[in-house]
Amino acid sequence: MRLIIRDDPKAVGEYIGNYIAKRINDFAPTAEKPFVLGLPTGSSPIPTYKHLISLVKAGKLSFKHVVTFNMDEYVGLPEDHPESYHTFMFREFFSHIDIPPSQVNILNGNAKDLIGECNAYEARIKSHGGIELFLGGIGEDGHIAFNEPGSSLASRTRIKTLAYDTILANARFFNNDIAAVPRMALTVGVATVLDSKEVIVVVTGQRKALALSKAIEEGVNHLWTLSALQTHPWALIVVDEDATAELHVKTVKYFKSIERVQDEVEAMHEQFKLKGGTDAFGTQDA
Amino acid sequence: MTSSNGLVCFTNCLLPQEDGSLIEKDLWIDDRRGVVLDSQRTFFLRKERPARVIDLGGNIVSPGLMDIQINGAYGFDFSVYDGDEEAYRQGLKTVAEKIVETGVTSLVPTIITQQQSLYPTILNLLRPLSGPNSANLLGWHAEGPFIQLAKRGAHLPEFLLPAPEGFQSFEKVYGTENLAVTEDWLMANDGDSDTVGVRIITAAPEVEGVRVAVKEAVKRGIVISIGHSICSTDIAAAAVVNGARLITHLFNAMPQLHHRDPSIIGLLGASPHLASNLSPKSPASPTSASFTIPRTPSSNALANRIKGALGEGPKATSEAFDELTTPPQTPVLAGVDSDLQLKKGEKAEMPFERPFYELIVDGIHSHPNSVRLAYSAFPEGCILITDAMKILDPHLRDGIHEWRDGKRFVKEGDKLYLEGTDTLAGSVVTLDKCVRNFSRFTGCSLGEAIKCATLNPARCLGIENKKGTLRPGADADLVVLDRKGYVQSTWVKAMSNMRMDSSTTCNICMYVLFCDYGVQGRMH
Repeated sequence: MRLIIRDDPKAVGEYIGNYIAKRINDFAPTAEKPFVLGLPTGSSPIPTYKHLISLVKAGKLSFKHVVTFNMDEYVGLPEDHPESYHTFMFREFFSHIDIPPSQVNILNGNAKDLIGECNAYEARIKSHGGIELFLGGIGEDGHIAFNEPGSSLASRTRIKTLAYDTILANARFFNNDIAAVPRMALTVGVATVLDSKEVIVVVTGQRKALALSKAIEEGVNHLWTLSALQTHPWALIVVDEDATAELHVKTVKYFKSIERVQDEVEAMHEQFKLKGGTDAFGTQDA
Repeated sequence: MTSSNGLVCFTNCLLPQEDGSLIEKDLWIDDRRGVVLDSQRTFFLRKERPARVIDLGGNIVSPGLMDIQINGAYGFDFSVYDGDEEAYRQGLKTVAEKIVETGVTSLVPTIITQQQSLYPTILNLLRPLSGPNSANLLGWHAEGPFIQLAKRGAHLPEFLLPAPEGFQSFEKVYGTENLAVTEDWLMANDGDSDTVGVRIITAAPEVEGVRVAVKEAVKRGIVISIGHSICSTDIAAAAVVNGARLITHLFNAMPQLHHRDPSIIGLLGASPHLASNLSPKSPASPTSASFTIPRTPSSNALANRIKGALGEGPKATSEAFDELTTPPQTPVLAGVDSDLQLKKGEKAEMPFERPFYELIVDGIHSHPNSVRLAYSAFPEGCILITDAMKILDPHLRDGIHEWRDGKRFVKEGDKLYLEGTDTLAGSVVTLDKCVRNFSRFTGCSLGEAIKCATLNPARCLGIENKKGTLRPGADADLVVLDRKGYVQSTWVKAMSNMRMDSSTTCNICMYVLFCDYGVQGRMH
């Protein structure tokens, strides 16, 4: 696992945005072979979306051949409700980029057969050959997607009851009316995320600091579902300084040193490629 | 010009919201149907996104401006009919085609008091019309003849009438067929010449029979506007209770604000509790059972006031109704002892809805301070109008221009007066300029000023789902303004008069009717 630390959420968004853009452009997606991207909602990824939008507007990136799968959606909330994740994704991202609507996948929380919807979603991901890169965020309780504390680390896309913490945290989006917050959501499972080739998680703000420490400094534990990322071969967590508040100084220093060394390795590798060497998978310090 | 899938996206722009704010957001429209789209639904359900994207460089896309009181423009006077129907229609067409350069996409042609015999013909010609390449004519606004002699302004005294038979008198003058109940308020039959055009009637509530007529007119969906009147506070309030929902060119042709009898202007500050006692619906509380509000002034006093006003001779046309005597104070509701609001900001129950009011914001017809005073009192009711004369034409030079009957205008900027006098002869301001003025006069934001020339007039007419708004499904009548409020381009959903047939793939098109600098169209 790599941990990248940046000064503030904006710098985090720029780092991830540039990273994703490079991955998509290197992949050189086509209609036959699209880039499959997993996407989150929430406030943490907004700076990333803003940066990706600016890259699209500047003509440096296109989503014409990108297929997206969103992590989750509330159950029973109308699709055009201001707090639905359909609304969020359209408002914050899809309306500003050039992605064809047919290539956007978001779970339907209003499906009559919710279990069928979840199974079909997994099947759709498979039919695209799995997810190339999953971008995620976490909750204050360390949940990734809506995989609340106690979720199976082998879980797939399914119906999930929201934790009381999450309901309280989301009440601010529903006029502080706890009763109005949906109790259930459809969400990809922890294993669905871990199945993707690469995972990037954005963690910003002091309120997420404890969750970050639990996820990377302690063992794999279903009470902090992000910790399952420790078993993933190609995972990247990008955080701001605030989010590191609960980490050991040693941890922070170590990851900062990895980044420095990584830069040197990449520079060397560029030289190597220039001299005719071929690129190989697994050159990164994971 | 058109988009390959019929959808157009305006991007990099500010959209006026219904709360008066301006937010950075894209606007999606369907240029085949000429309507505003719910972009999110289009994306997720229709699974389409606009093939054509227009970058507006940070400018504002507003609903097209709406002028509900305009007497004419570009040399054509809606009130002048010389017997030639074709010429009149051509005049309407000219105005509708040219006015879009001022950002106006809908207007209600207004006619001043006419010889009675002319009404049926003119009003019949003023049916709603949406021609190609032009602003929508929404119907008509008749100012008079049921107005107050003492506040007649430029209206000819010999044509003024009372309405002794109530609404029947209205029918006799305007023509029964021109007042027929119509279901088509939303103009579903765009351009259908069978649609009746009545929209607004300006009348003085103190004129005989008008009070009775108001109720019937309101039932038929006609907007009754109080104007050219000297009515007292209680008569004005009663008219509103009866359904009058607009005040014609506030401050002009009405008594000045008198603190003891605030009359028509005072409606902007109508006290909820005073009003509730005027409402026939409100149950009398036990304490007020024996308490009745004396109607002041008595009809005698009213007669005296009228006499007084007339007694001033030529000054009767002055803008101010100078009170020489202090009117008796409107009684306070001493007998009412209802609960008081304890929470700040919580609105008292208001069975009395304050009327909309029109303002001519040319800096001449109302002082900026007065404009701000009115807006501060009741921002939700504010409607900007031009009340423009036929001479309105932003390209017209200053100087002397012919009017009628050998009279001549002198135009000096937005000021228009009769040659050889200092009598104001109406307005020549354009509505887009009123919007800019209004923002400066009141200190409100441009978005709030836009609202007063779009959503508010549309709400007054009850067409806020179709016009004056960017709600999904509304007509895509748009004006692009720069950040200083200057018109950059005007877009109107226009329907050609061709019959729809299979060979006509694009019968309803989006036209850029006026474009000052050329819209930067960026194809994606």
